[in-house]
Amino acid sequence: MVYLFGLFVLLSFTPTHASAAEGDLFVIAQVSDQTVTSGVSSREPVAGVKISVFDSAGSLVGEGISDSNGEVKILVPARATYSVKLDTSTLPNDLTLLTGTTDSFTIAEETFTTQTKRVSFFIGDSGVSNTTLVEKISQRAADGVRLGLIIALCSVGLSLVFGTTGLTNFAHGEMITFGGLMAFLLNVTLGIPLLLAAPVVIALGGAFGLAFNWLIFARLRKRGIGLVSQMVVSVGLSIMLRNMFLFQFKGRTRPLDDFSLQQGMQIGPIRITPRDLTTGIISLVLLVTVALVLQRSRTGKAVRAVSDNPNLASATGIDTQRIIQIVWCAGGALAALGGIFRGLDEQVGFQMGSGLLFLMFAGITLGGLGSAFGALVGGFLVGVMVEMASLVVPSELKNAPALLILILVLVLRPQGILGTRQRVG
Amino acid sequence: MDWIRIFENTMRAFAGVDAAYFALAAIGLNVQFGYTGLLNFGQAAFMACGAYGLGLTSQYFNVSFWWGIPIAMVLVIILALLVGIPTLRLRADYLAIVTIATAELVRLVVRSVKFKRIFGGSDGINTFSNEFRALNPFQPSAQYGIWPFRYNGYTMFTLLVGWGLVVMIAMFVWLLMRSPWGRVVKAIREDEDAVRSLGKNIYSYKMQSLIIGGFCGMLSGMVFALDRGSVQPDNYSRDVTFYILTALVLGGMARVMGSIVGPMMFWGLYVFCDNFLRQLVQSAPLRVGGVTIIQSTQVGAVNYMLVGLGLILLMAKRPQGVFGNRQEMALDGR
Repeated sequence: MVYLFGLFVLLSFTPTHASAAEGDLFVIAQVSDQTVTSGVSSREPVAGVKISVFDSAGSLVGEGISDSNGEVKILVPARATYSVKLDTSTLPNDLTLLTGTTDSFTIAEETFTTQTKRVSFFIGDSGVSNTTLVEKISQRAADGVRLGLIIALCSVGLSLVFGTTGLTNFAHGEMITFGGLMAFLLNVTLGIPLLLAAPVVIALGGAFGLAFNWLIFARLRKRGIGLVSQMVVSVGLSIMLRNMFLFQFKGRTRPLDDFSLQQGMQIGPIRITPRDLTTGIISLVLLVTVALVLQRSRTGKAVRAVSDNPNLASATGIDTQRIIQIVWCAGGALAALGGIFRGLDEQVGFQMGSGLLFLMFAGITLGGLGSAFGALVGGFLVGVMVEMASLVVPSELKNAPALLILILVLVLRPQGILGTRQRVG
Repeated sequence: MDWIRIFENTMRAFAGVDAAYFALAAIGLNVQFGYTGLLNFGQAAFMACGAYGLGLTSQYFNVSFWWGIPIAMVLVIILALLVGIPTLRLRADYLAIVTIATAELVRLVVRSVKFKRIFGGSDGINTFSNEFRALNPFQPSAQYGIWPFRYNGYTMFTLLVGWGLVVMIAMFVWLLMRSPWGRVVKAIREDEDAVRSLGKNIYSYKMQSLIIGGFCGMLSGMVFALDRGSVQPDNYSRDVTFYILTALVLGGMARVMGSIVGPMMFWGLYVFCDNFLRQLVQSAPLRVGGVTIIQSTQVGAVNYMLVGLGLILLMAKRPQGVFGNRQEMALDGR
């Protein structure tokens, strides 16, 4: 643990173009839904709207999604001229910008005198919606597929560790965050192109997973400490790592440098950036590879054997400890890659992984806790369902359907889609 | 470094309201986890039931704040049934997963814009405590107590209520665990199948334990809300459950004393670290050889890092905590 701590203290995430924390400058955008009833206008904050800030040269400075107060706080490097733009495609159903207001504001340098600069966007009922229902549904489905692939990628490790050791690892989300933050460190702080940085991040993620096992869980297993206690240890580990990330990275979310600003392409009814298309395809290829490795290769068969019955596997001459190491390493590497993709998709922040933990749990429970393929199928389905549900559920509650899935699966079919019955106790 | 000040603050935290509401929640977690072996990772949601039960009286129902108690009890029972029915027949980790997820969802629902009219959104509710304040026998602005335990009149009142409840609930749980009911739940923790073979309805006992623990969490949330005079959704995040769990493990699980002294020690240590670090970096960031080690904005993160590290070390090296009995901590007997 001491080594790990030392590592974090040495690494500083301060990007080259940002000023010190005390003198940070922010642009705050407020998104409100304005309704006029009998001459009195009332305003409600609107969450889930994407706001981007561009500098005078037109390159992206930062972007964010409005929170439940309808606010987005974006860090800017200096008092300069910026334009603030609202992404109208992220507005909730049936809401558009009020007529007479625009989707972008310009902040002139000479008016930027305080630490923060506020702009307000007002939106309201549109009456006519410019996207058809089919377009909306297929757009959501495409987003859902991407989220589902990332969740599936991230939860392979969680599920395999559970299968081989019985541990429900509550610190798995921190493995994803680790990947995202390492990508930020290499890409933004050190300026290495993301394509070169990614393999390094994946390797570091694998090492991180191995370190989990070697420094903590292998020792606990050797001393015969029970699974419930190990689970509580993983909770402690999650708290500690998350606060280490907070310590180094601070509380804000920031984008990666490469590929962060791209024009969407129109493919049929769906609008998607080349970046998202590429990450989606890479995820899909990797997931198929993982499935094939588990199905065909010697190691994959050994992993499944240990998942089914560790004692029996050990009796047939499989080195279970080595299999467990492989699983931690592969799980860490895949989670780190998931972290990079998530960082590209949203932004990098110290809580980016722990926010996904619940969706991953829902996914692996749906697929079958401990089943190797269950994580792939379940994670994918949960991602799709969560995005599709946001068509009807307010975006701030879009994780709610995942909980519903979790509870329904446990009531109706606790072993999940692909799990085997005897594992449920 | 002002050591007297640090000592005063540490002592005040040791016996403070935070320790009292943690103790109530820890007693509940102890009933569920320490005695019955139910891994409830969503105690924060039960606390939110208590707090919002009070909050709803003024925000939604417009009735006397005493109605908060029955409202909160109904909320606790609904929540316990929701998480318990699907999971209590299954292995321990399913309950952990569902409770942590439900607690997170409860927080998202109460802070959502959609239900702002009922739960007050992210601002919360702060209009329910007037009746409670009127019951205060102390002068709200005057100072009471002996050095270093000096508190103002209102804090004194919430301390009295908080620790009074702690003593009552602790007595109740102590007696309960010596009753036949207590012997059954402890036996469930040790060997579920053996108890089932004696014809006991394990499912029902587990559910009762979950609800009793939930009621303790509810009282904890109420004490906290009354002390602050407000209910805010972000005070019931999932990490709160984990801090309470850490406090419980520190004191010693499956011991009534452990669940009271643990939170006191937790807050004493926490406030000591916090005050010490803040004074250390108050004027300038701590630097060693030109490298900034820690600055004032990072103190909070360091505190919680230490909480996490403490939980890991306790679980690995001394799972019985200060008061516990190692034999009784064999949580994985089955």
